[in-house]
Amino acid sequence: MDETLQQLTAAIKAGKRKDAIASTQAALDAGTDPQTILNALTEGMDDVGRRFKANEIFVPEVLVAARAMQKSMDLLEPVLLASGIQPEHCVVIGTVEGDLHDIGKNLVSMMLKGANFKIVDLGTNVAPDAFIEAVEANKPAIVALSALLTTTMPAMKETVALLKEKGVSARVIVGGAPVTREFSDQIGADGYSADAASAVELARQLCA
Amino acid sequence: MTGKDILLKALRSEPVDRIPWLPFVGVHGGSLIGVDAEAYLKNADHIVAGLTEAVDRYRPDGIPVVFDLQLEAEILGCQLAWARETPPSVASHPLGEDYDLESLPTFSTDKGRMPLVLDAVRRAKEAFGDEVALYGLLTGPLTLALHLRGDDVLLDMFDEEEAVPQLLDFCADIGIRMADAFIEAGADVIAVVDPMISQIGPDHFSDWIAPALNKVFDHIREKGALSSLFVCGNATRNLEAMAKTSCDNISVDENVSMPELARVARAAGKSFGGNLQLTVVLLLGDQQDARRDAARCLDEAGEGNGFVLAPGCDLPYSVKPENLSAVAELVRDPYQLEIARKLPPKDTSDTFEDITIPDYDSEKAVIVDVVTLDSAGCAPCAYMVKAAREAGRVFDQPVEIREHKITGRDGLGYMNKLGVSAIPSICVDGKEQFASIIPGRDELVTSLRNAAAGKQ
Repeated sequence: MDETLQQLTAAIKAGKRKDAIASTQAALDAGTDPQTILNALTEGMDDVGRRFKANEIFVPEVLVAARAMQKSMDLLEPVLLASGIQPEHCVVIGTVEGDLHDIGKNLVSMMLKGANFKIVDLGTNVAPDAFIEAVEANKPAIVALSALLTTTMPAMKETVALLKEKGVSARVIVGGAPVTREFSDQIGADGYSADAASAVELARQLCA
Repeated sequence: MTGKDILLKALRSEPVDRIPWLPFVGVHGGSLIGVDAEAYLKNADHIVAGLTEAVDRYRPDGIPVVFDLQLEAEILGCQLAWARETPPSVASHPLGEDYDLESLPTFSTDKGRMPLVLDAVRRAKEAFGDEVALYGLLTGPLTLALHLRGDDVLLDMFDEEEAVPQLLDFCADIGIRMADAFIEAGADVIAVVDPMISQIGPDHFSDWIAPALNKVFDHIREKGALSSLFVCGNATRNLEAMAKTSCDNISVDENVSMPELARVARAAGKSFGGNLQLTVVLLLGDQQDARRDAARCLDEAGEGNGFVLAPGCDLPYSVKPENLSAVAELVRDPYQLEIARKLPPKDTSDTFEDITIPDYDSEKAVIVDVVTLDSAGCAPCAYMVKAAREAGRVFDQPVEIREHKITGRDGLGYMNKLGVSAIPSICVDGKEQFASIIPGRDELVTSLRNAAAGKQ
């Protein structure tokens, strides 16, 4: 990998948005293939995910890394689009009804984006019906549900039940601070991940 | 000694005769009296009625008066989004654009919903405050900072090295004013609830959050009240750092390993609490699950002082009251605890194929299965078996009394196949008729007669 791309990967890992912008622009100016630049970004975010999962870094550190990635993507995305490079898989994601928390959901979105998934983010307080509509409109491979409050976990259960009842083919994955694997199994979700980095691994596995 | 005394002693890490029980009844109080979360959290009459109902049913040693981490945020200008079964959520962040603390409305505990909350504290104190310790809950500095500023606080930890500590210190000062108001109204314990701590690492915690927390805890101590640090979410990595703060007690949820918490807290001379599983067990499980999980908490807390049995966090609105009642019974009854320890694990795939139960309809005699821990070793079981035998003796038709002990496979098999809900239990012709409560002779004979009539 050339030096500019190494700098880009390093900037993502350290969460340095100005460096990320500069090295992305430099790589684009040098005519580097956008897919190659994207790969450098993904490599940086993969490393962030690995350290997050290993409890070496925490939410704030991932947020700064994701912010740096987003700055880079702002420059890169138009070029990717122009080159016809599109993510292979789509994920519909949202925080379940009654829950306005979005940090966890945003982390997962950003990490998935960093791993080159197309993200349809429905935001917070998403009614079960709204998930169904988004699934019909976007035909995602995965529907990802987040909940931060123990009190909104029942809404997660309802949403999974409705998706299953409607025969949605997308795999349903769940997560959030109070959500456990046991709960995930009980409500019939297809996958559970304890953190944003594992959500990427899980999504990759389910799409493989 | 009252339950309140037991709890307060445990919070000070002094020896107690039984484990104190602290159900975090928040909006669940609304479900107990049939009003939604919004109506509940906006009306002192409802709160007092909900708490009174909770005290009757769950016999707590301590109880939070209100569990709502949006009280301060609302006064400081955050808009709230209300829901039927959850506390409100913060929907706008007044410091979202910049850190202009001067632009916030002046904080006062005479504003927002605090007057009705404090009224509820005073009335609860009057009604049952001698027997039950009252917890005043306030929003911890990090969580309040996120309410005011939004998620950007976490990013600002990297970019705004002056503004963040100022904001956290401001939030600590709000916490102090909340603590003063709660203590003055009669709260015995002040819990600083800061769930966002589960999202940061120990360095950020020690550098940024601990100073703000300590300011609040030190103040509470000066005022002569006890303090607790509540962190919902996986706070495992921060336990050591949390134990270095000046709180009296640390309370955590099911994501944290109880043996680890017990070790860290005791080493720091602090009491600790938790961590009944909120959803899988208390909301979705049955009484057996609740007993099993309570036994797990007690056993994992291990030998030594300072343990308080509590749910991991705010109880869900629709949590099953019978599950909490089962926990309330267990903490007062060592024998219930013994039974809970014997229960087979929930996820057992054992269907007890080797234990055959009779085809009751085709049997001539009425069959009474008494499922016990062991009538030789446990008094309630012995009385249950005795009651069944006596009723059998006076009953004028064929009847067989059989004891099944859950200390062995036979008992566990019967328990499983007959769907026994409590131990000891009397099942008549395969149907549970008397769970846990020993029936009078006439009652039991009537039940036998009905079963015999069903055979003809």
